[in-house]
Amino acid sequence: MTDTAETHDHDHRPPAPQVHEISDFEVLEIALRELAIEKGLFTAEDHRRYTEYFETLGPVPAARLVAKAWLDPDFKALALADGLAASREVGADWLEAPPTGFGTPSDFTAFVVLEDTPKLHHVIVCTLCSCYPRPILGNSPEWYRTPNYRRRIVRSPRAVLAEFGLIIPEDVEIRVEDSNSKNRFMVLPVRPAGTDGWSEDQLAEIVTRDCCIGVALPKPGVTSNAPRDVHPAVNPVPTH
Amino acid sequence: MPMSSLPDDVSQLRPALHQLRDWVYGDEFDHRLFDAYMKTPHDVGGEPDAPLKYVEKEEEVWELNTFITCEALAWRGIWTSEERRRLCNVDLGKTQYSGLPYYGRWVLAMCRVLVEKHHITLGELMDRTSEVQERIASGNSGGTPKAETPESADSAAVKRNEHHTDAIGKGDPQCFAGMASDPQFSLGDSVRVRKMPAIFYTRTPEYMRGVTGTVVRLAYESLAAEDEAFDREDQRPEWFYIVRFKMDDLWEGYAGPASDTLQAELEERWLEPVA
Repeated sequence: MTDTAETHDHDHRPPAPQVHEISDFEVLEIALRELAIEKGLFTAEDHRRYTEYFETLGPVPAARLVAKAWLDPDFKALALADGLAASREVGADWLEAPPTGFGTPSDFTAFVVLEDTPKLHHVIVCTLCSCYPRPILGNSPEWYRTPNYRRRIVRSPRAVLAEFGLIIPEDVEIRVEDSNSKNRFMVLPVRPAGTDGWSEDQLAEIVTRDCCIGVALPKPGVTSNAPRDVHPAVNPVPTH
Repeated sequence: MPMSSLPDDVSQLRPALHQLRDWVYGDEFDHRLFDAYMKTPHDVGGEPDAPLKYVEKEEEVWELNTFITCEALAWRGIWTSEERRRLCNVDLGKTQYSGLPYYGRWVLAMCRVLVEKHHITLGELMDRTSEVQERIASGNSGGTPKAETPESADSAAVKRNEHHTDAIGKGDPQCFAGMASDPQFSLGDSVRVRKMPAIFYTRTPEYMRGVTGTVVRLAYESLAAEDEAFDREDQRPEWFYIVRFKMDDLWEGYAGPASDTLQAELEERWLEPVA
Protein backbone atom coordinates (compact mmCIF):
# COMPACT_ATOMS: atom_id res chain seq x y z
CA MET A 1 0.00 0.00 0.00
CA THR A 2 1.73 3.14 -1.08
CA ASP A 3 0.43 6.66 -1.13
CA THR A 4 0.11 8.16 -4.57
CA ALA A 5 0.59 11.89 -4.46
CA GLU A 6 1.82 14.74 -6.54
CA THR A 7 4.16 17.33 -5.21
CA HIS A 8 2.88 20.89 -5.57
CA ASP A 9 4.53 24.05 -4.42
CA HIS A 10 1.58 26.42 -4.07
CA ASP A 11 2.83 28.05 -0.91
CA HIS A 12 5.15 31.01 -0.55
CA ARG A 13 8.19 29.50 1.18
CA PRO A 14 11.58 30.92 0.31
CA PRO A 15 13.64 28.69 -2.00
CA ALA A 16 14.85 25.49 -0.37
CA PRO A 17 18.13 26.01 1.50
CA GLN A 18 21.41 24.75 0.10
CA VAL A 19 22.19 21.13 0.80
CA HIS A 20 24.79 22.07 3.43
CA GLU A 21 22.42 24.35 5.33
CA ILE A 22 21.16 22.68 8.44
CA SER A 23 18.26 23.88 10.55
CA ASP A 24 18.72 25.28 14.04
CA PHE A 25 16.73 22.39 15.40
CA GLU A 26 18.96 19.83 13.75
CA VAL A 27 22.03 21.50 15.26
CA LEU A 28 20.43 21.38 18.70
CA GLU A 29 19.42 17.75 18.28
CA ILE A 30 22.97 16.77 17.37
CA ALA A 31 24.45 18.73 20.27
CA LEU A 32 21.92 17.31 22.72
CA ARG A 33 22.39 13.75 21.55
CA GLU A 34 26.18 14.00 21.82
CA LEU A 35 25.94 15.37 25.34
CA ALA A 36 23.40 12.75 26.36
CA ILE A 37 25.65 9.97 25.10
CA GLU A 38 28.75 11.49 26.72
CA LYS A 39 26.99 11.72 30.07
CA GLY A 40 25.90 8.10 29.86
CA LEU A 41 22.18 8.87 29.65
CA PHE A 42 21.79 6.45 26.75
CA THR A 43 24.18 4.96 24.20
CA ALA A 44 24.57 5.38 20.46
CA GLU A 45 23.67 1.69 20.27
CA ASP A 46 20.38 2.44 22.08
CA HIS A 47 19.59 5.08 19.46
CA ARG A 48 20.41 2.70 16.65
CA ARG A 49 18.36 -0.14 18.16
CA TYR A 50 15.31 2.00 18.75
CA THR A 51 15.56 3.40 15.22
CA GLU A 52 15.69 -0.14 13.88
CA TYR A 53 12.55 -1.11 15.82
CA PHE A 54 10.72 2.05 14.79
CA GLU A 55 11.47 1.51 11.10
CA THR A 56 9.63 -1.83 11.22
CA LEU A 57 6.34 -0.08 12.03
CA GLY A 58 3.71 0.43 9.35
CA PRO A 59 0.01 -0.10 8.58
CA VAL A 60 0.22 -3.75 7.48
CA PRO A 61 -0.59 -5.35 10.87
CA ALA A 62 -3.64 -3.12 11.29
CA ALA A 63 -4.96 -4.14 7.87
CA ARG A 64 -4.38 -7.76 8.76
CA LEU A 65 -6.24 -7.37 12.06
CA VAL A 66 -9.28 -6.00 10.24
CA ALA A 67 -9.20 -8.69 7.54
CA LYS A 68 -8.91 -11.47 10.12
CA ALA A 69 -11.74 -9.98 12.15
CA TRP A 70 -13.94 -9.89 9.06
CA LEU A 71 -13.28 -13.58 8.37
CA ASP A 72 -13.18 -15.04 11.88
CA PRO A 73 -15.84 -14.14 14.49
CA ASP A 74 -13.70 -15.55 17.32
CA PHE A 75 -10.78 -13.33 16.33
CA LYS A 76 -13.13 -10.38 16.06
CA ALA A 77 -14.36 -11.04 19.58
CA LEU A 78 -10.74 -11.19 20.77
CA ALA A 79 -9.91 -7.93 18.99
CA LEU A 80 -12.78 -6.18 20.75
CA ALA A 81 -12.07 -7.73 24.16
CA ASP A 82 -8.27 -7.59 24.16
CA GLY A 83 -6.72 -5.38 21.52
CA LEU A 84 -3.17 -6.17 22.60
CA ALA A 85 -3.66 -9.92 22.21
CA ALA A 86 -5.22 -9.54 18.77
CA SER A 87 -2.46 -7.15 17.77
CA ARG A 88 0.16 -9.68 18.86
CA GLU A 89 -1.45 -12.30 16.63
CA VAL A 90 -1.03 -10.10 13.56
CA GLY A 91 2.61 -9.43 14.33
CA ALA A 92 2.46 -6.19 16.30
CA ASP A 93 3.51 -6.88 19.87
CA TRP A 94 3.12 -3.65 21.80
CA LEU A 95 4.95 -4.97 24.87
CA GLU A 96 7.70 -7.32 23.67
CA ALA A 97 8.78 -5.85 20.33
CA PRO A 98 10.09 -2.45 21.50
CA PRO A 99 13.58 -2.68 23.02
CA THR A 100 12.44 -1.01 26.24
CA GLY A 101 10.78 -4.08 27.73
CA PHE A 102 7.74 -2.00 28.72
CA GLY A 103 6.39 -0.94 25.33
CA THR A 104 7.03 2.30 23.52
CA PRO A 105 7.28 5.30 25.83
CA SER A 106 4.88 7.35 23.71
CA ASP A 107 2.30 4.74 22.69
CA PHE A 108 1.84 2.78 25.96
CA THR A 109 0.21 -0.66 26.10
CA ALA A 110 -3.52 0.03 26.22
CA PHE A 111 -4.81 -0.66 22.70
CA VAL A 112 -8.54 -0.65 21.97
CA VAL A 113 -10.26 -1.60 18.71
CA LEU A 114 -13.42 0.38 17.95
CA GLU A 115 -16.06 -1.57 16.05
CA ASP A 116 -18.04 0.20 13.38
CA THR A 117 -21.50 -1.12 12.59
CA PRO A 118 -23.96 -0.22 9.84
CA LYS A 119 -25.38 2.32 12.31
CA LEU A 120 -22.16 3.57 13.95
CA HIS A 121 -19.04 5.16 12.49
CA HIS A 122 -15.97 5.99 14.55
CA VAL A 123 -13.31 8.58 13.81
CA ILE A 124 -10.20 9.09 15.94
CA VAL A 125 -8.34 12.23 16.96
CA CYS A 126 -6.04 13.35 19.73
CA THR A 127 -7.10 16.95 20.35
CA LEU A 128 -4.15 17.60 22.69
CA CYS A 129 -1.25 16.31 20.63
CA SER A 130 -1.22 13.44 18.11
CA CYS A 131 -1.49 10.21 20.09
CA TYR A 132 -1.70 7.38 17.57
CA PRO A 133 -1.44 3.56 17.61
CA ARG A 134 2.04 3.50 16.09
CA PRO A 135 2.99 -0.10 16.95
CA ILE A 136 0.17 -1.46 14.74
CA LEU A 137 -0.38 1.36 12.25
CA GLY A 138 3.01 3.08 11.82
CA ASN A 139 3.66 6.75 12.27
CA SER A 140 0.86 9.30 12.21
CA PRO A 141 0.18 11.33 9.08
CA GLU A 142 1.03 15.02 9.05
CA TRP A 143 -2.59 16.18 8.80
CA TYR A 144 -3.60 14.15 11.87
CA ARG A 145 -1.13 16.15 13.98
CA THR A 146 -2.31 19.55 12.80
CA PRO A 147 -4.18 21.85 15.17
CA ASN A 148 -6.63 22.31 12.29
CA TYR A 149 -7.78 18.67 12.27
CA ARG A 150 -7.73 18.50 16.05
CA ARG A 151 -9.83 21.68 16.37
CA ARG A 152 -12.49 20.81 13.86
CA ILE A 153 -13.06 17.05 13.90
CA VAL A 154 -14.51 17.14 17.44
CA ARG A 155 -16.86 20.01 16.69
CA SER A 156 -17.90 19.36 13.08
CA PRO A 157 -17.03 15.75 12.30
CA ARG A 158 -19.48 15.46 9.40
CA ALA A 159 -18.06 18.54 7.69
CA VAL A 160 -14.48 17.39 8.13
CA LEU A 161 -15.26 13.85 6.98
CA ALA A 162 -17.01 15.31 3.92
CA GLU A 163 -13.75 17.10 3.09
CA PHE A 164 -12.12 13.65 3.16
CA GLY A 165 -14.79 12.54 0.70
CA LEU A 166 -16.75 10.61 3.32
CA ILE A 167 -20.43 11.43 3.66
CA ILE A 168 -22.00 9.53 6.55
CA PRO A 169 -25.80 9.20 6.35
CA GLU A 170 -27.81 10.99 9.04
CA ASP A 171 -29.15 7.72 10.44
CA VAL A 172 -25.61 6.52 11.17
CA GLU A 173 -24.20 7.74 14.47
CA ILE A 174 -20.79 9.36 14.29
CA ARG A 175 -18.72 8.74 17.40
CA VAL A 176 -15.54 10.77 17.73
CA GLU A 177 -12.92 9.16 19.94
CA ASP A 178 -10.69 11.80 21.53
CA SER A 179 -7.58 9.80 22.31
CA ASN A 180 -6.49 12.18 25.06
CA SER A 181 -4.74 9.80 27.45
CA LYS A 182 -3.03 6.38 27.45
CA ASN A 183 -5.45 4.34 25.36
CA ARG A 184 -4.59 4.03 21.68
CA PHE A 185 -7.34 3.27 19.20
CA MET A 186 -8.00 2.03 15.70
CA VAL A 187 -11.26 1.60 13.82
CA LEU A 188 -12.54 -1.81 12.72
CA PRO A 189 -14.60 -0.74 9.70
CA VAL A 190 -17.67 -2.55 8.39
CA ARG A 191 -16.76 -5.11 5.73
CA PRO A 192 -17.91 -3.62 2.43
CA ALA A 193 -20.20 -5.27 -0.08
CA GLY A 194 -18.57 -6.89 -3.09
CA THR A 195 -15.99 -8.84 -1.08
CA ASP A 196 -17.71 -12.22 -0.82
CA GLY A 197 -15.29 -15.13 -0.95
CA TRP A 198 -12.24 -12.89 -0.66
CA SER A 199 -9.08 -14.18 0.99
CA GLU A 200 -7.50 -12.52 4.00
CA ASP A 201 -4.83 -11.01 1.75
CA GLN A 202 -7.41 -9.55 -0.63
CA LEU A 203 -9.36 -8.08 2.27
CA ALA A 204 -6.27 -6.64 3.94
CA GLU A 205 -5.34 -4.89 0.68
CA ILE A 206 -8.39 -2.62 0.84
CA VAL A 207 -7.92 -1.68 4.52
CA THR A 208 -5.88 1.51 4.32
CA ARG A 209 -4.39 3.60 7.12
CA ASP A 210 -7.10 6.18 6.51
CA CYS A 211 -9.77 3.51 7.10
CA CYS A 212 -8.20 2.66 10.45
CA ILE A 213 -8.37 6.30 11.55
CA GLY A 214 -11.95 6.58 10.35
CA VAL A 215 -11.58 9.18 7.59
CA ALA A 216 -12.17 6.64 4.81
CA LEU A 217 -14.23 3.50 4.25
CA PRO A 218 -12.76 0.36 2.72
CA LYS A 219 -13.83 -0.16 -0.91
CA PRO A 220 -13.14 -2.99 -3.34
CA GLY A 221 -10.48 -1.77 -5.75
CA VAL A 222 -9.13 0.97 -3.47
CA THR A 223 -5.83 -0.17 -2.03
CA SER A 224 -4.20 3.10 -1.02
CA ASN A 225 -5.01 6.25 0.88
CA ALA A 226 -6.65 9.02 -1.15
CA PRO A 227 -4.06 10.98 -3.14
CA ARG A 228 -2.88 14.03 -1.26
CA ASP A 229 -0.11 16.54 -1.75
CA VAL A 230 3.14 15.62 -0.04
CA HIS A 231 5.27 18.34 1.51
CA PRO A 232 8.78 17.24 0.54
CA ALA A 233 11.67 16.98 3.00
CA VAL A 234 14.98 18.77 2.38
CA ASN A 235 16.86 15.71 3.64
CA PRO A 236 14.31 12.91 3.69
CA VAL A 237 14.53 9.69 5.65
CA PRO A 238 15.44 7.07 3.06
CA THR A 239 12.53 4.73 2.36
CA HIS A 240 13.42 1.06 2.20
CA MET B 1 -7.42 23.34 -6.21
CA PRO B 2 -6.70 24.38 -2.65
CA MET B 3 -9.42 23.46 -0.20
CA SER B 4 -9.16 26.72 1.60
CA SER B 5 -8.31 30.36 1.22
CA LEU B 6 -5.80 30.16 4.08
CA PRO B 7 -2.68 30.30 1.87
CA ASP B 8 -3.84 33.66 0.42
CA ASP B 9 -2.09 36.54 2.14
CA VAL B 10 -5.11 38.77 2.01
CA SER B 11 -7.18 36.30 4.02
CA GLN B 12 -4.52 36.47 6.74
CA LEU B 13 -4.95 40.20 7.32
CA ARG B 14 -6.53 40.66 10.73
CA PRO B 15 -7.31 43.72 12.80
CA ALA B 16 -5.04 43.87 15.83
CA LEU B 17 -5.76 46.06 18.81
CA HIS B 18 -2.43 46.86 20.35
CA GLN B 19 -2.17 46.83 24.14
CA LEU B 20 -0.74 50.22 25.13
CA ARG B 21 1.64 48.94 27.78
CA ASP B 22 3.03 45.59 28.86
CA TRP B 23 1.73 44.06 32.08
CA VAL B 24 -1.83 45.28 32.48
CA TYR B 25 -2.76 45.97 36.07
CA GLY B 26 -4.58 43.29 38.01
CA ASP B 27 -7.70 45.43 38.25
CA GLU B 28 -7.79 45.53 34.44
CA PHE B 29 -7.48 41.77 34.11
CA ASP B 30 -10.83 40.02 34.40
CA HIS B 31 -11.75 36.30 34.59
CA ARG B 32 -12.24 36.07 30.85
CA LEU B 33 -8.70 37.25 30.19
CA PHE B 34 -7.30 35.03 32.91
CA ASP B 35 -8.99 31.95 31.45
CA ALA B 36 -7.82 32.86 27.96
CA TYR B 37 -4.18 33.31 28.96
CA MET B 38 -4.14 30.26 31.23
CA LYS B 39 -5.80 27.85 28.79
CA THR B 40 -3.21 25.17 28.13
CA PRO B 41 -1.92 25.77 24.59
CA HIS B 42 -2.38 22.18 23.42
CA ASP B 43 -6.10 22.23 24.22
CA VAL B 44 -7.42 23.22 20.80
CA GLY B 45 -10.47 20.96 20.50
CA GLY B 46 -13.45 22.97 19.31
CA GLU B 47 -11.57 26.18 18.58
CA PRO B 48 -12.87 27.87 15.45
CA ASP B 49 -10.87 27.20 12.31
CA ALA B 50 -11.36 27.14 8.57
CA PRO B 51 -11.14 24.20 6.17
CA LEU B 52 -7.54 23.46 5.23
CA LYS B 53 -6.01 21.27 2.59
CA TYR B 54 -4.70 18.24 4.47
CA VAL B 55 -1.33 17.03 3.25
CA GLU B 56 1.16 14.29 3.95
CA LYS B 57 4.77 15.17 4.74
CA GLU B 58 8.07 13.49 4.04
CA GLU B 59 10.01 13.06 7.27
CA GLU B 60 13.37 14.76 7.63
CA VAL B 61 16.30 12.75 8.94
CA TRP B 62 16.64 15.21 11.82
CA GLU B 63 12.96 14.74 12.69
CA LEU B 64 13.33 10.97 12.92
CA ASN B 65 16.50 11.41 14.99
CA THR B 66 14.62 13.78 17.30
CA PHE B 67 11.81 11.31 17.79
CA ILE B 68 14.23 8.48 18.50
CA THR B 69 16.30 10.55 20.94
CA CYS B 70 13.14 11.47 22.83
CA GLU B 71 12.09 7.82 23.03
CA ALA B 72 15.62 6.71 23.99
CA LEU B 73 15.61 9.21 26.86
CA ALA B 74 12.34 7.71 28.09
CA TRP B 75 13.57 4.14 27.53
CA ARG B 76 16.50 4.87 29.86
CA GLY B 77 14.39 6.59 32.50
CA ILE B 78 15.40 10.22 32.01
CA TRP B 79 11.76 11.26 31.52
CA THR B 80 8.35 9.88 30.61
CA SER B 81 6.51 10.81 27.43
CA GLU B 82 4.08 12.81 29.57
CA GLU B 83 6.86 15.10 30.76
CA ARG B 84 7.78 15.56 27.12
CA ARG B 85 4.19 16.50 26.25
CA ARG B 86 4.07 19.08 29.01
CA LEU B 87 7.37 20.61 27.95
CA CYS B 88 6.76 20.67 24.21
CA ASN B 89 2.98 21.16 24.01
CA VAL B 90 2.21 23.48 26.94
CA ASP B 91 5.17 25.03 28.75
CA LEU B 92 6.46 26.71 25.60
CA GLY B 93 3.41 28.94 25.59
CA LYS B 94 0.87 29.67 22.90
CA THR B 95 3.06 31.73 20.59
CA GLN B 96 5.80 29.12 20.28
CA TYR B 97 3.22 26.33 20.23
CA SER B 98 1.51 27.85 17.23
CA GLY B 99 4.64 29.10 15.51
CA LEU B 100 7.36 26.48 15.73
CA PRO B 101 7.68 23.34 13.65
CA TYR B 102 6.19 20.24 15.27
CA TYR B 103 9.48 18.47 15.88
CA GLY B 104 11.22 21.73 16.72
CA ARG B 105 9.20 21.71 19.91
CA TRP B 106 10.34 18.15 20.68
CA VAL B 107 13.96 19.27 20.36
CA LEU B 108 13.42 22.15 22.78
CA ALA B 109 11.63 19.85 25.22
CA MET B 110 14.50 17.39 25.41
CA CYS B 111 17.01 20.21 25.83
CA ARG B 112 14.91 21.64 28.62
CA VAL B 113 14.56 18.39 30.53
CA LEU B 114 18.29 17.69 30.45
CA VAL B 115 19.04 21.14 31.82
CA GLU B 116 16.25 21.10 34.42
CA LYS B 117 17.19 17.66 35.72
CA HIS B 118 20.83 18.72 35.97
CA HIS B 119 22.21 16.24 33.45
CA ILE B 120 23.78 19.09 31.52
CA THR B 121 24.20 22.76 32.24
CA LEU B 122 22.78 25.37 29.91
CA GLY B 123 26.35 26.48 29.29
CA GLU B 124 27.32 23.01 28.13
CA LEU B 125 24.42 23.01 25.70
CA MET B 126 25.31 26.44 24.38
CA ASP B 127 28.97 25.52 23.95
CA ARG B 128 28.22 22.26 22.21
CA THR B 129 25.66 23.91 19.92
CA SER B 130 28.27 26.48 18.89
CA GLU B 131 30.79 23.74 18.29
CA VAL B 132 28.39 21.75 16.13
CA GLN B 133 27.63 24.87 14.11
CA GLU B 134 31.37 25.44 13.56
CA ARG B 135 31.93 21.84 12.57
CA ILE B 136 29.15 22.05 10.02
CA ALA B 137 30.39 25.37 8.65
CA SER B 138 33.87 23.98 8.17
CA GLY B 139 32.44 20.94 6.41
CA ASN B 140 34.09 18.46 8.77
CA SER B 141 31.10 16.08 8.63
CA GLY B 142 29.92 18.24 11.50
CA GLY B 143 26.45 16.90 11.03
CA THR B 144 27.45 13.52 12.38
CA PRO B 145 27.25 13.37 16.14
CA LYS B 146 30.24 12.11 18.05
CA ALA B 147 28.77 8.85 19.21
CA GLU B 148 30.95 7.14 21.73
CA THR B 149 30.15 6.80 25.36
CA PRO B 150 33.45 7.81 26.97
CA GLU B 151 35.12 5.68 29.64
CA SER B 152 34.46 8.54 32.03
CA ALA B 153 30.68 8.35 31.68
CA ASP B 154 29.22 6.85 34.83
CA SER B 155 25.95 5.54 33.48
CA ALA B 156 25.07 3.99 36.83
CA ALA B 157 25.33 7.35 38.59
CA VAL B 158 22.77 8.99 36.32
CA LYS B 159 19.52 9.71 38.11
CA ARG B 160 16.72 7.80 36.38
CA ASN B 161 13.07 7.25 37.18
CA GLU B 162 11.71 4.06 38.77
CA HIS B 163 9.16 3.69 36.03
CA HIS B 164 11.53 2.57 33.30
CA THR B 165 12.49 -0.55 35.26
CA ASP B 166 9.25 -1.05 37.22
CA ALA B 167 7.24 -1.33 34.02
CA ILE B 168 9.46 -3.92 32.33
CA GLY B 169 7.46 -7.01 31.46
CA LYS B 170 4.24 -5.31 32.50
CA GLY B 171 3.73 -2.30 30.27
CA ASP B 172 2.21 1.08 31.04
CA PRO B 173 -0.50 1.52 32.38
CA GLN B 174 -0.44 -2.13 33.52
CA CYS B 175 2.41 -1.28 35.93
CA PHE B 176 -0.09 0.75 37.97
CA ALA B 177 -2.69 -2.01 38.32
CA GLY B 178 -3.98 -2.47 41.85
CA MET B 179 -2.58 0.80 43.13
CA ALA B 180 -5.58 3.08 42.91
CA SER B 181 -8.37 3.18 45.47
CA ASP B 182 -11.55 1.37 44.47
CA PRO B 183 -13.18 3.01 41.45
CA GLN B 184 -15.74 5.59 42.43
CA PHE B 185 -17.78 5.14 39.23
CA SER B 186 -19.28 2.17 37.42
CA LEU B 187 -20.37 1.43 33.88
CA GLY B 188 -23.46 3.40 32.97
CA ASP B 189 -23.02 6.05 35.66
CA SER B 190 -23.92 9.61 34.79
CA VAL B 191 -20.96 11.86 35.52
CA ARG B 192 -20.25 15.53 35.12
CA VAL B 193 -16.80 16.82 34.22
CA ARG B 194 -15.72 19.25 36.92
CA LYS B 195 -14.71 22.78 36.22
CA MET B 196 -11.36 23.09 37.93
CA PRO B 197 -8.79 25.78 37.20
CA ALA B 198 -6.34 24.00 34.92
CA ILE B 199 -3.16 25.79 35.87
CA PHE B 200 -0.03 24.66 33.98
CA TYR B 201 -1.14 21.22 32.81
CA THR B 202 -4.09 18.94 32.27
CA ARG B 203 -5.35 16.46 29.73
CA THR B 204 -9.00 17.23 30.41
CA PRO B 205 -10.01 19.40 27.47
CA GLU B 206 -11.90 22.60 28.17
CA TYR B 207 -14.64 21.73 25.69
CA MET B 208 -15.99 18.97 27.96
CA ARG B 209 -15.72 20.72 31.30
CA GLY B 210 -19.08 21.17 32.98
CA VAL B 211 -20.67 18.65 30.60
CA THR B 212 -22.52 15.52 31.71
CA GLY B 213 -21.79 12.17 30.10
CA THR B 214 -22.02 8.43 30.69
CA VAL B 215 -19.26 6.10 31.84
CA VAL B 216 -18.81 3.50 29.09
CA ARG B 217 -15.55 1.94 30.18
CA LEU B 218 -13.38 1.57 33.26
CA ALA B 219 -10.20 2.03 31.30
CA TYR B 220 -7.17 1.55 33.58
CA GLU B 221 -5.34 2.83 36.63
CA SER B 222 -2.57 5.32 36.13
CA LEU B 223 -0.84 8.31 37.58
CA ALA B 224 -2.85 11.39 36.73
CA ALA B 225 -1.42 13.43 33.88
CA GLU B 226 -1.07 16.36 36.30
CA ASP B 227 1.35 14.20 38.30
CA GLU B 228 3.04 12.17 35.59
CA ALA B 229 3.89 15.34 33.68
CA PHE B 230 5.88 16.50 36.70
CA ASP B 231 7.67 13.22 37.40
CA ARG B 232 5.65 12.63 40.58
CA GLU B 233 6.08 8.87 40.77
CA ASP B 234 5.40 9.24 44.50
CA GLN B 235 1.75 10.14 43.88
CA ARG B 236 -1.09 7.63 43.95
CA PRO B 237 -2.55 6.39 40.65
CA GLU B 238 -6.29 6.75 40.07
CA TRP B 239 -8.90 5.19 37.81
CA PHE B 240 -9.40 6.54 34.31
CA TYR B 241 -12.78 6.25 32.59
CA ILE B 242 -14.01 6.55 29.05
CA VAL B 243 -16.97 8.92 29.22
CA ARG B 244 -19.37 9.35 26.33
CA PHE B 245 -21.06 12.66 25.59
CA LYS B 246 -23.80 13.72 23.20
CA MET B 247 -22.50 16.19 20.67
CA ASP B 248 -25.62 18.29 21.36
CA ASP B 249 -24.45 18.63 24.97
CA LEU B 250 -20.89 19.54 24.02
CA TRP B 251 -21.65 22.12 21.34
CA GLU B 252 -24.35 24.73 21.26
CA GLY B 253 -26.01 24.58 17.87
CA TYR B 254 -24.39 21.29 16.84
CA ALA B 255 -25.45 20.81 13.25
CA GLY B 256 -25.49 17.01 13.08
CA PRO B 257 -28.02 14.41 14.20
CA ALA B 258 -28.90 14.11 17.88
CA SER B 259 -27.41 10.63 17.91
CA ASP B 260 -23.84 11.81 17.27
CA THR B 261 -21.49 11.30 20.21
CA LEU B 262 -17.94 11.83 21.39
CA GLN B 263 -15.99 10.01 24.04
CA ALA B 264 -12.75 10.69 25.86
CA GLU B 265 -10.69 9.41 28.78
CA LEU B 266 -11.06 11.21 32.07
CA GLU B 267 -9.34 10.89 35.41
CA GLU B 268 -11.50 10.15 38.43
CA ARG B 269 -10.49 13.45 40.04
CA TRP B 270 -12.13 15.31 37.17
CA LEU B 271 -15.53 13.62 37.54
CA GLU B 272 -18.40 14.17 39.91
CA PRO B 273 -21.55 12.08 40.23
CA VAL B 274 -24.81 13.37 38.80
CA ALA B 275 -27.85 12.68 40.93
